[in-house]
Amino acid sequence: MIDTDKIRSDFKLLNGKNVPVYFDSACMSLKPNCVVEAMNEYYYEFPACTNRSPHKMGQKATKKVEEARKSIAKFINAGSEKEIIFIRNTSEGINLLVNSFNFKKDDIVLITDKEHNSNLVPWLRLKEKTGIILKIIPSHEDGTFNLENFKELVKGAKFVSVVHTSNLDGVTNPVEDIIKIAHQNGALVFLDVAQSIAHQKIDVKKLDIDFLAFSGHKMFGPTGTGVFYGKHKLLEELDPFLVGGDTVLSSTYDSYEMLPSPEKFEAGLQDYAGIIGLGEAVKYLSKIDFRDIEEHEYKINKYITEGLQKFPQIKIIGPADPALRSGIINFYIENTDMHKFAIMLDELSNIAIRSGRHCVHSWFHSKNIYNSARVSIYIYNTEEEAEVFIKSLTKILGIL
Amino acid sequence: MPCLISLIVFGIMGIFSASQRALAKEALDCVFKRVTFRPCNTGFQEKVKGKLLVKVLKRSAFLAKVLNKYYEIFSWIFFILMVGSTIWVFRGVYNFYVYGSCNGLNATGFCAFDPSGANNKVTPLGDGATCGTVQKVEKNVTLKNVDLSSFPTQQVGSKDTVVFIGCYDCDYSRKAYPDILKLVKNKNANYIFAHYPAKGSITDDLANTAYCVSKNYKDKFWDFNSYLFSTDKNYVLDKKNIDTILTKFNFDANQISKINECASSPETKVAVEAQVKELNKTNMYGTPTIFINNKAFVGPKPYRVYRSAINKFIFF
Repeated sequence: MIDTDKIRSDFKLLNGKNVPVYFDSACMSLKPNCVVEAMNEYYYEFPACTNRSPHKMGQKATKKVEEARKSIAKFINAGSEKEIIFIRNTSEGINLLVNSFNFKKDDIVLITDKEHNSNLVPWLRLKEKTGIILKIIPSHEDGTFNLENFKELVKGAKFVSVVHTSNLDGVTNPVEDIIKIAHQNGALVFLDVAQSIAHQKIDVKKLDIDFLAFSGHKMFGPTGTGVFYGKHKLLEELDPFLVGGDTVLSSTYDSYEMLPSPEKFEAGLQDYAGIIGLGEAVKYLSKIDFRDIEEHEYKINKYITEGLQKFPQIKIIGPADPALRSGIINFYIENTDMHKFAIMLDELSNIAIRSGRHCVHSWFHSKNIYNSARVSIYIYNTEEEAEVFIKSLTKILGIL
Repeated sequence: MPCLISLIVFGIMGIFSASQRALAKEALDCVFKRVTFRPCNTGFQEKVKGKLLVKVLKRSAFLAKVLNKYYEIFSWIFFILMVGSTIWVFRGVYNFYVYGSCNGLNATGFCAFDPSGANNKVTPLGDGATCGTVQKVEKNVTLKNVDLSSFPTQQVGSKDTVVFIGCYDCDYSRKAYPDILKLVKNKNANYIFAHYPAKGSITDDLANTAYCVSKNYKDKFWDFNSYLFSTDKNYVLDKKNIDTILTKFNFDANQISKINECASSPETKVAVEAQVKELNKTNMYGTPTIFINNKAFVGPKPYRVYRSAINKFIFF
């Protein structure tokens, strides 16, 4: 069971005056003090380059960055830390894959109909440039994954790139089945775990994932940090699209010798403070049982869902059952701009939620829905906050 | 419509605040989209509406409900009010510049730029002088049918004529006098001076003396008159100082004796009274009253007001 008081004491923002009700963790999680302190420690005590500077500060920076890599490898149960590549965010990870993998004309790539722009636009670009065939896997009416559709579409596919938990409706796709079926059909699988990494256990070995990517900022980590994972053998086959400093062992005026993974993918000086902060975030998250996180989120999600269901004009995106929506409650009112709701909640009760199309414009266009308001829950949220939210929403709906 | 209002309001506020400047930019984007017949989908309108609704909601749910329901109508009302008040403000600024009062020429209502109303203050006329006049109605103050030929005059052949009606004992006349002299000099205007005993008989002796100087010694009158307005009024109004003052203007004993004789003569008294009667025909209600090309300015205005009148910088 989550001890929210203890958790909240770890976040400076949640202590003191004018504490916000922060319900926007699907966009950005808050940062525990230890993450900020770890980053500050780098800047204050050893702000040096890694892997090249022989002095003590350089050695310490290298050690801390590699420790972070090891922590992350352990966190997702990767075969080796060499499979962990530091990137800026999930979008960069997908771009790395799209631009490094040897895609050819008429290769079939599958994605779902609820992909974030970061897992849609790079593929659309690749389609324009290379001539791949991009196929969309339609979901069930309630937003859950349609495995039957997938079984048909995956035949002949070269690659499957799907979101694990959707930031749109919180639905978690049956990735174990997806990966199994994809592999049976000779397709590789990329998993966008940006939304799930902080809410459920990801075991890359158990799931037999080929590639995945996630961002640090949704899992207590700093902004501008992320991880791209690939099976070692597959990473060796990728041809990095970004090269330069740190990616080569040596060079002459007419040749160069690339380093192996992960170095060959990490061109230029990295965000060391961010990586160290991300390592600290992973350590912090590792101390919490994911089953407790899921239970906690379900409890609050259920309370809010029931509160929203009292208003017939409110429509929740995704399945009605909160157990299927992780920590996300995304809702809208027909012909209403939900930005207004988000602003009013913020002004009225200091409640931070997200409004808009949540970078899933394609889905909103296909459903002809203007936008929505999304509440996203994490471990520092409380039932009292959920109550404040419902009360404030009731008040607002009373005047609209 | 809310976008346009926001653009104007935040645009003005943005001059002073960077945060408002960002809102003004959003509003501009929204207005641009609307004028190019595209929907304003920046969320700006909803942002502004949401903030306003919550401010009202915190005080009254009923009012917030009404505001939400009639938001567009309220927007129009506020827009019209804003345009009206903007025009009013510009009119006020214009009036203040050309008339010295936000409310118009000689109008005495509150003016933010002249909160004490100093530009309209006058010395009300004494009992005898107000008889038969309609007070404090500026439009009735006129030179029509008023014969000014008996008053000291500087004719320079100009198309502009300035008439100054003031009182030696009145502070506001004394305040305006140097500006009128400056105006006459700078604009090379014809100039007529008329003394009006606004405070009654206290200035009679001095007025009579001035009348006699102007009648018999025209060349010395203007300097003499300026001296009376610029020197401590208690000194110049004291009858026993008149001889000393006259001496300052190189009048010899014989001339001083003649001036005094003239000043105390019944003919002078009649003539001065006749002048006052003539001035009453102007319907003036206080001093100073200045006519610039027949337009009346009551009270001591800033110099720019007089200059604007001569420059014809008056549109309404």
